[in-house]
Amino acid sequence: MRLGIVRGCVVLSTSVPSLRGTRLLLVEPVTAEGLERGDGSGGGKMLVVADHLAPAEGQMIGFVEGREAANPYGRAGAPVDAYCALIVKATDYRPGTGDRAWSGEAGR
Amino acid sequence: MFLARIEGTLTATVRHETLRACRFLIARRLDAGGALEGEPLVVLDRLGARHGGTVLVSTDGDALRRLHGDTVPARLSVLGLVDQVRLEGPTPDDRGAAR
Repeated sequence: MRLGIVRGCVVLSTSVPSLRGTRLLLVEPVTAEGLERGDGSGGGKMLVVADHLAPAEGQMIGFVEGREAANPYGRAGAPVDAYCALIVKATDYRPGTGDRAWSGEAGR
Repeated sequence: MFLARIEGTLTATVRHETLRACRFLIARRLDAGGALEGEPLVVLDRLGARHGGTVLVSTDGDALRRLHGDTVPARLSVLGLVDQVRLEGPTPDDRGAAR
């Protein structure tokens, strides 16, 4: 799952039947630099994400990509490859320096 | 599977119903030399991984389907907490630098 900022939505005039009832969000993925700044900037390459949770514009979401993105549609399936799994309330992101496991000490 | 380092935590009050009881962590993948690479990833954790710790992450969505149901929209989960990584010989990065 990656993180992204909702920038807008897409409205289709005609679609395949399996997409009816699904919102389509325009999402800008959040890079490590964007998350560290914590100013709501994303930095990644925009993509379209299927959604049933209705996040507002500017909110951060977690979205899953690939085959698992269609899991919520069950056996009926849907041709989606990105799906909004959660709306982020808060993050505590503190990038560290050095890696203890890699330098030989316990990593826990 | 790949190795990653835990860089933060995440709270979400609105989430897919199958993820109700899950703990989410923010991790970044480690390259062959132990450096962070790529975008931050949200991983599901049941093992109590700590900030700064190295973890083994699986990309097998089927494992999560067995735990949380067939409709779970998630793929990445922590499989283990890493104590030590031993690398023998030069890493691919080292070999690239020597060329």
